[in-house]
Amino acid sequence: MTAFRTDLITGGAIAVIGAVYYIATFSIQETANIVTPRTFPAIVGIGLIVLGLFLAGQAVVRHRKDTLSEAAPGSAGSAHSTAAGDGDGAAASAGESSVETADRSSGQEGVGGIVLEAPPEPQVRKVVFQFALFFVYLAILIPVGFLLATAAFLMGLTSIYAPEKWIRNLIFSVLFAVVVYTAFVYGLAVYLPVGILG
Amino acid sequence: MDTLIDLGGGFASALEPVSLAFALLGVLLGTVVGVLPGIGPISAIAILIPVSFGMEPVHGLILLCGIYYGSMYGGSITATLIKTPGEVASAVTAIEGYEMARRGRGKAALATAAIGSFLAGTLAIIGLTFLSPVLVKLANVFGATEYFLLMATALLLASTMSAGSRAKALISIFIGLAVGLIGLDFQTGLPRQTFGMDLLSDGIDFTIFAMALFAIPEAIRNLALGRGAKDEIQSFGDDKWMTKEDWQRSAGPWARGSVVGFIIGILPGVGPSLASFMSYIMEKRISKRKDEFGHGAIEGVAGPEASNNAGVGGAMIPLFSLGIPGSATTALLLFVFTMYGLQPGPLIFRDETGLIWTIIASMYIGNIALIILNLPLVGVFVKLLKMPKEILFSSILVLVVIGAYAIEFSLFGLMMLGIFGVIGYLMEKGGIPLAPAILALVLVPLLEDNFRRMLQISGGSFAPLVTRPVSLSIIILMVLGIIGPVVFRWWVSRRKLLADVTVS
Repeated sequence: MTAFRTDLITGGAIAVIGAVYYIATFSIQETANIVTPRTFPAIVGIGLIVLGLFLAGQAVVRHRKDTLSEAAPGSAGSAHSTAAGDGDGAAASAGESSVETADRSSGQEGVGGIVLEAPPEPQVRKVVFQFALFFVYLAILIPVGFLLATAAFLMGLTSIYAPEKWIRNLIFSVLFAVVVYTAFVYGLAVYLPVGILG
Repeated sequence: MDTLIDLGGGFASALEPVSLAFALLGVLLGTVVGVLPGIGPISAIAILIPVSFGMEPVHGLILLCGIYYGSMYGGSITATLIKTPGEVASAVTAIEGYEMARRGRGKAALATAAIGSFLAGTLAIIGLTFLSPVLVKLANVFGATEYFLLMATALLLASTMSAGSRAKALISIFIGLAVGLIGLDFQTGLPRQTFGMDLLSDGIDFTIFAMALFAIPEAIRNLALGRGAKDEIQSFGDDKWMTKEDWQRSAGPWARGSVVGFIIGILPGVGPSLASFMSYIMEKRISKRKDEFGHGAIEGVAGPEASNNAGVGGAMIPLFSLGIPGSATTALLLFVFTMYGLQPGPLIFRDETGLIWTIIASMYIGNIALIILNLPLVGVFVKLLKMPKEILFSSILVLVVIGAYAIEFSLFGLMMLGIFGVIGYLMEKGGIPLAPAILALVLVPLLEDNFRRMLQISGGSFAPLVTRPVSLSIIILMVLGIIGPVVFRWWVSRRKLLADVTVS
């Protein structure tokens, strides 16, 4: 995804979230206080809408400027330097100079454009799968119990990653679950769910 | 004089074997967790908060403070040897330190980072020792207006002074505010933004939010990447430690970095990341060897590393004396204080004198422990870098799940962890920084409470914002905080100070 599309989608999503949040404030009961319980949530909802629209709008404007400068070869360089100079964040300027690297690296960019290598981007399908596994683990933790659920979860994750090392994976999964369980329950008195083993 | 007596008392109890053990354990644990690639101080503290649940408050706090600066140092090892900064503050080390390591000067880079961190950290704690009591006295004239303004300033500066897009940092803050307002309104007891779900009326737990945002996206991303190219770890076994020239070249950056970092650290809302960037830019500006920057200049490691550790000490000042966290990490510490039923601020210095000074004294000790333990042990820590990724990140997922369970003891808490994990992942994907959201979440109840009290006292008028001398000065600071970074960015880009360190 290009920086343009990322910002457009992010901005749009934030504006929608802001709108939902703002609408939810209507169900807060009104009171006679100077600052009612509604005041802050309403400000936050509106703030999110405005910021989301601003981000999306900014992306569109930048995109237009970019396409214009590409159309006129030779001026691309100067367009880049003005973008870096207009002061609104290294993310934007880096996004224009090297779209591939800046795609998800804005968290690691510095004041004035210290740009680090962007970490590699995993496939969406795999991310969804990892999250799905994680949610299954969360769902079974209490009914099944910490020891079994954790050992199974760890075994699953490590086996997807390195199936040929299954002996190591098994030892690690069981050992980690047991050691952590013992440490928390007996050492720190944090009682973890026993589930079907109880 | 009183301060020295209090500090002496603090040392007496910080040097008791149990306290000493916790300080050492904290530093060691912090370094170990900080060394793990992709785990910065925020994740380190968030993951380890559950460990402190059953402890005495003073021991838990000593432990977590130790973890804080331990993980900062651990992060610089990772940045130097595999170019993976655990957080933004060590991003410049990932450039200069890594280049030094590639040129066979890894040991010198690690040493200058460690010694610089120690010196700067100690200076900052001395500053903390003597400035906090002053600020506590000043805080006596603070009313709701000033507290409201300080918190608003913290949030504002967190967005204007952050690295990257300011609009996105502001979005992050508003997300934090939005999440923080979910639950019962503490003044009227009315439910807000619960979308009809009773379970949400207790609000979103802060630790769950922090763990979900900081640990889960990173773990899932790495697990989903599968086996790729292995990180190349720079070896340094045969390198020389610092030479006489290295010492001479490091001394100036250490001193300047300490001062810059300390001042920036005190500012509300500005974390150590800006401190390290400022120091880097400054060192580059005054260096006679500008061409070495980007290719392993020792000044570029010494200054920023000193600076971000001085920033840690500086950030503790508003936290301890006013109860206002200046960064996501100090926000976590504030949360830990309140978890133990303690409220940092003027009252803690009056009512819990022993406790607060013990913690301050333990910071001196922790800093010394850091350098004594870690420089010789660096070879051991490096082994951690070789830990297989699937083992590392699946363990982290299990640890945050334990943490979430230990807080809520319910499926609801666990699901919240998962859902905010997804939200955190999407935020990162959209380029929205995560740290400002954490700060906003902690500050929003205080912000709203003080805003309400301000208007109740004034009968609905906003006049106190400008008629009270203290609040007026805070407003001036606020305006400078908005204009300052703009001018600074303009100046940096004007001079093209960083043009040639862009690595891609």
